[in-house]
Amino acid sequence: MKGINLEKLHDEGVENLLSKERRQFLQFGLSISGVFLGGSILSVTSAKQAQGALSRGKVPVAEFPYSPHYTMVIRQNHCIDCERCLEACRKTNKVPAHGYRTSILERSIPIAQGQRERAFMPILCNHCNNPPCVRVCPTQATYKDKTNGIVLMNPEKCIGCKTCMAACPYNARYFNEEERAIDKCNFCYDTKLKESGGKITACAAACPANVRIFGDLTDPESDAYKLIHAPGKVLWVLRPEAGTLPNVFYLDA
Amino acid sequence: MNFCHKANALPSTSINRVLFFVALALVSGLGLSFGLHSMLVGHDSTFGTSREVPWGLLVSPYVFFACLSTGLCIVSSLAQVFGISTFQAIVPRTVFLAIITMATGLMCITLELENPWRVGFYALSSPHQSSNIWWKTTIYSLYLIFMVCNFLLLTLKKEKRAKVFAIIAFVAVTLGNLNMNSDMGLLSARGFWSENYMPLYFLSLSTLTGCAAILLFNWIGKSFSGQIAETKDDAALKATGKLFMVLLLGIFYFTGVKIMGGFYPQFTKNPEAMSLLVQGNFAPNFWIGEVGLAVLLPLALIFITRGEKTNILALAGISCLTGVFVLFYDLVIVGQLIPHYSQYNVVDLPKYYSYSPSLHEIMITTGALFFFLAAFILGEMLFKKIYNS
Ligand code: SF4
Ligand code: SF4
Repeated sequence: MKGINLEKLHDEGVENLLSKERRQFLQFGLSISGVFLGGSILSVTSAKQAQGALSRGKVPVAEFPYSPHYTMVIRQNHCIDCERCLEACRKTNKVPAHGYRTSILERSIPIAQGQRERAFMPILCNHCNNPPCVRVCPTQATYKDKTNGIVLMNPEKCIGCKTCMAACPYNARYFNEEERAIDKCNFCYDTKLKESGGKITACAAACPANVRIFGDLTDPESDAYKLIHAPGKVLWVLRPEAGTLPNVFYLDA
Repeated sequence: MNFCHKANALPSTSINRVLFFVALALVSGLGLSFGLHSMLVGHDSTFGTSREVPWGLLVSPYVFFACLSTGLCIVSSLAQVFGISTFQAIVPRTVFLAIITMATGLMCITLELENPWRVGFYALSSPHQSSNIWWKTTIYSLYLIFMVCNFLLLTLKKEKRAKVFAIIAFVAVTLGNLNMNSDMGLLSARGFWSENYMPLYFLSLSTLTGCAAILLFNWIGKSFSGQIAETKDDAALKATGKLFMVLLLGIFYFTGVKIMGGFYPQFTKNPEAMSLLVQGNFAPNFWIGEVGLAVLLPLALIFITRGEKTNILALAGISCLTGVFVLFYDLVIVGQLIPHYSQYNVVDLPKYYSYSPSLHEIMITTGALFFFLAAFILGEMLFKKIYNS
């Protein structure tokens, strides 16, 4: 089940692209990518699109479906694993000890023969544009907010079938025994995000290394927007082969 | 017309039989009380499931009984819907078995839910049409109602009207079965399921278990009431035995495909999961259960006796049912054991997640099995005349 690993691809440089083509890609919104390889542009948003590009198929033009369209960019190589984000998340969202909404994975990435690089990879719900968790829920207890695209929970309706947990390729959900419902990251929708007027999440606010950049993909002033649209940057999403179209992007900045 | 030759009159329901039924019901009650307990305190402390492996043992009896019911409905439809008269003699018992197996399956999945009491209200007030789980539960619940109507009309000897319900139930259960494929098969998160839930395989497996159950429970039913074989029943059972054999050969082929995938990664999209099943920790389940008990032993028994002896056919049936139960267990569990981030060189990430059923899960499954057995025995006591008519 290995898909295209965008992170591993060598970027031939977006600057080598014709400016017309580049402009065109920027207009695609979510399908923009810094990975330019052998005349093909690999989308960071979905493997389907990446494969489309590889096979010289047409990359579908995508408008931002939400407004604001919340996103998070993770500057992976800046993470020092201090776990302040995890603590902030717990406190802000009253996450019980038996679960978590976000976590940090320690990676040991092979870089050359016999050499490995250590990296910390924060993970959270990707608020996928094509979320399998939402599709499988029998009672619409989990749903994608029509305005901002956040994947939310209505705990009252949760029957605890755990199909959404089985369906999520990112292990982003857990069953909160106290609430007797699934719990997951909601970009602090009802807590920090509300307080901050839609500007920031608890984890992003707590991060001393500015690893988690929260923002709005439709707002060119947003830091997240700027990072995603910066030319020459390699961004990737997790498990693109699952076809979920995540809204959390990773980059080494 | 009564085709039943009797060595002596059918024995009436004796006190021993009632006691037997009560004993089964008590074991069932004991097992199911564990389900009530975990419903009260939550699954965190009572189930072996986890964040990584959210579906546990109870999903297997659900899938097993639901498929078994499908298979039973399909075989009963051969006579009721498609008019193949050879199978007519076993229709009432088969329909009853189909009802109690589906009821058992739905009971298992109910007890697998953390909040089953919310189902009735929110499944109706907030249905989700793109959810296969919603469709499946709805279809299976309706199917159960149709099958009960079918059975009641059969007991009232209203065959024509019974046929209408038989047709609707047959269509519903086939859709439900195909839906079960998509239910798990479409989950991109677990590639092993998409690979192994091929509609044809699933439908064949269901019909196979249906045949196995017919062979087994008709034999038990007759032994229970001290009857000797009847000509019409015998013919139906032998025909079922033949169908059983053909399906065994079909499943043998699919098992061969799994073996290839387990040994040669180029034959599968999920080499880690397939090798875990065929060569790893699940190998005993696979080779003893899925290969030996589900396919090879039944095939050998049928070949040796040429499918002539109903008691040997019954033995083949129980062997196959046990093996297929193991198969479903493997399918549900192995599908969840590949870590989500396995391709990211994560430190300390195990090669496979682990899961083992808890005492509660085992007791609930036992309770469900005994519920089914008790219901079957009750059926033998209550509907003896209908089965023999
Ligand atoms: S990451 Fe998982 S929980 Fe979050 S939207 Fe995607 S599939 Fe759903
Ligand atoms: S566990 Fe709750 S949120 Fe998840 S699919 Fe089932 S009902 Fe929906």
